[in-house]
Amino acid sequence: MANGDDHQLVARIVSDQDTAAFGELVRRHQSQVRNFLRKLTGDIATADDLSQDCFMRAWDKIQTFSGRGSFIGWLLKIAYTTFLQSKRKSKRYAEILEQVGHVAEVESRSYSVQADEVTDLEKLLAVLNDEERAIMVMSYACGLSHREISDATSKPVGTVKSVIFRSKEKIRTNFDIKDHQHG
Amino acid sequence: MTSKIINMAERIKDAEDRLLESMFDSAPIADAGFSATVVTKVRRGLWLRRLTLPVFAMIGGAIAIKPLTGLVIAATRLSSLLPQDFLSRTAELMPQAQIIVLGAMLLAACMLGLRTIVD
Repeated sequence: MANGDDHQLVARIVSDQDTAAFGELVRRHQSQVRNFLRKLTGDIATADDLSQDCFMRAWDKIQTFSGRGSFIGWLLKIAYTTFLQSKRKSKRYAEILEQVGHVAEVESRSYSVQADEVTDLEKLLAVLNDEERAIMVMSYACGLSHREISDATSKPVGTVKSVIFRSKEKIRTNFDIKDHQHG
Repeated sequence: MTSKIINMAERIKDAEDRLLESMFDSAPIADAGFSATVVTKVRRGLWLRRLTLPVFAMIGGAIAIKPLTGLVIAATRLSSLLPQDFLSRTAELMPQAQIIVLGAMLLAACMLGLRTIVD
C-alpha cells in the first residue's frame, strides 16, 4: 500500500517537480534513513547532516528511480553511497592534515560512540566493519530483503548472505547473545 | 518457483534472528522540522537553477555589448569598402537574405523565451 503511494508521489515529482509531494516522501521515510545513518556513523549530528545530503541527492536523481523495487530500498542505497563518500572525503582531509604536520583531530566519521552511554547495539555494531554494519542494519533494522540489500549495496545476493553470516559469526564470537536473550 | 523458495527461506527466522531484530529495533525519530528544512533547501535550489540562465545571459549580454557594437561598426566600415556592384549583385542573388537573418534571430529569441517559461 505504502509502496504504491510512494510510486504515485514519485510520479508527481517527476512530472511536475512537485516539492510538496517530495516533502511527503521525506516525512514518511526520514525516520528510517536517519536511523540507518545513526547506526552507521554512531553520531546523531553527522547522521542528520548526511540524511539531508541524502534527500537532496534523492531529489536530483528522482528520475532514475525505476519503480521496480521499494522506494525506501532506493533511498537507503543513496544514503549508503552518501555515507561512503563522506567517509572517503574526511579520510582524505585527515591525510592532508597529517602531511602538513597537523595532529589529525578531524571528525573521521567512522563509527564512534561515547564511552559513558554505550548501548548493547552500539557495542555489537562496533565489532563490525562498515560494509557488515550497513548490511546488518538494512536487514535487521530496516527489514530489507536480501534482494533489496543487494540492489542497495550493488553486491550479489550471495555476497549479501555471506556478509550476514560472517557478521553473525563475529557477533557470536564477541558476545554471548544467548545470555542476552535470557537476561 | 525457485525465487518463492528463496523468499520462504528468507522469512524463516530462528531465535537468533528474532533477537537481533529486537536489538536493532529502535523508536521512530520525530520529524521535528527535518522534512521542512529539506523541502526549503530543495525549493531554494530550484529557484537558483531557474534564475541562473537569465541572470548569466544578462551578465554575458552586458559584457558582450561593447565588443559587439565595435564589430557592427567594423562590419559597416568593411561593407563600405566593398565595391558597390558586388553588394548589389549579392542582393540580386539573395533578395530574401535580410528576412532570413531576421527570422532566424526571432526564432532563437522565441525558443529562449519559451524555454524560460517552461522552466
